Amino acid sequence: MTRMASYEEHEGKKDIAIIHYFRSDYIGFQILKSIIAVTISFLALFGVYVFYNFEEIMQEIYKMDLLDFGKSVMILYLCVAGAYGVVAYVVFACRYSRARKSLKHYYDNLKKLSGMHNK
Amino acid sequence: MTSLLVVKQYIKNFINKYEVYLKPVLKLILALTSLLMINSRVGYMHRLDNISIVLIIALMCSFMPMNFIIFVAAAFVVLHFYALSLECAVVTLVLFLVMFLLYFRFSPKDTLVVLLLPICFVLKIPYVIPLAMGLLGTPASAVSVGCGVMVTYLINYIADSATALTAMETEEITTRFRLVIDGLINNKEMLLTIAAFAATIIIVYMIRRLSIDHAWTIAMITGAIANVMILLVGDLLFDTNVSIIGIFIGTIFSLLIVKILEFFVFHLDYSRVEKVQFEDDEYYYYVKAVPKITVATPSRTVKRINTPRKRSGGSHSKR
Repeated sequence: MTRMASYEEHEGKKDIAIIHYFRSDYIGFQILKSIIAVTISFLALFGVYVFYNFEEIMQEIYKMDLLDFGKSVMILYLCVAGAYGVVAYVVFACRYSRARKSLKHYYDNLKKLSGMHNK
Repeated sequence: MTSLLVVKQYIKNFINKYEVYLKPVLKLILALTSLLMINSRVGYMHRLDNISIVLIIALMCSFMPMNFIIFVAAAFVVLHFYALSLECAVVTLVLFLVMFLLYFRFSPKDTLVVLLLPICFVLKIPYVIPLAMGLLGTPASAVSVGCGVMVTYLINYIADSATALTAMETEEITTRFRLVIDGLINNKEMLLTIAAFAATIIIVYMIRRLSIDHAWTIAMITGAIANVMILLVGDLLFDTNVSIIGIFIGTIFSLLIVKILEFFVFHLDYSRVEKVQFEDDEYYYYVKAVPKITVATPSRTVKRINTPRKRSGGSHSKR
């Protein structure tokens, strides 16, 4: 009973918040947030890269193929975002199934407890 | 040994009883320590380098979630660096941003490592963190520890090259920016420490999960030896100039601390191991059960030996 109360107070709250969503909605929402996070991080790191190589870029800006450069940056971004999205999918899918399992266990125990009270 | 176990039980009971008050106090101490350390190492913004401000913010942190302390500490570092030079602040801000956005979304509990690691570096016992994380965490903790090491080395590098940065005020902004980035990327000692700590965490985790007697003790000793070996071999290969005596003494102290941690978290009696086999409809189980060592705290009972005397005053009044 103490463990159930502790679960309800701590992990249970998070698990209930997760289970309120459908599985696809929860994972989709989390992946969307991950993509936004990875986009901001990529932009920040790209900014640092550009500033670090600012002089070379400025010297060669008229010589270099900007379209090709943009394309390679875009491919790199898609690779990073794709890889991060896959990691996020795996992590949040595991988290959802774990939350469902824990809540099921909790509700089974609740049923047992109410059965004991009714006796 | 029994008296130690009794003390452990007393401490556990004390923590359970006063958890509501202890948590804010511990958060206050942690926030205060980390903010004071930041101010003493990189206190370039004089407005923040003020004990009353630190106290107010630390008090605020004690009533907020644990991760708030990390945000406050990160903000302190960025603001101090901003007072030194804009480039340092930008690089540090980007590092924190990437760390918080990409990694700590998945494991918010691990953020504490980023706060504790610089403190342990100051106390010269950074090896306690990979050993403890290997015992208590997962291999993914290697990323958190790596982030902590990176933050520590960045702070140290900027603090050490503050004079050079100030002297370069006349130079172009990109030159100073390059100096900061180069200092972070080309820091061989930092890369070696990250590799050593990551390997230690993975080794400790793998051994402590094994079904062998004294798995935790074997794991921590093997991890510590591996850590020392990697750091020494790395020193030979890359000429990182690490203090060998410092590594040895730090590792011994770290092992002692981790042993105390084991005593509180995972204290088992291997002399009473039981191996049982049973089955259900779907599986056959081979189970090794190791009992935990626990003792009950002696409870004080007050026993009255003398029977309470009847008051003679009442009988007198009756007369």
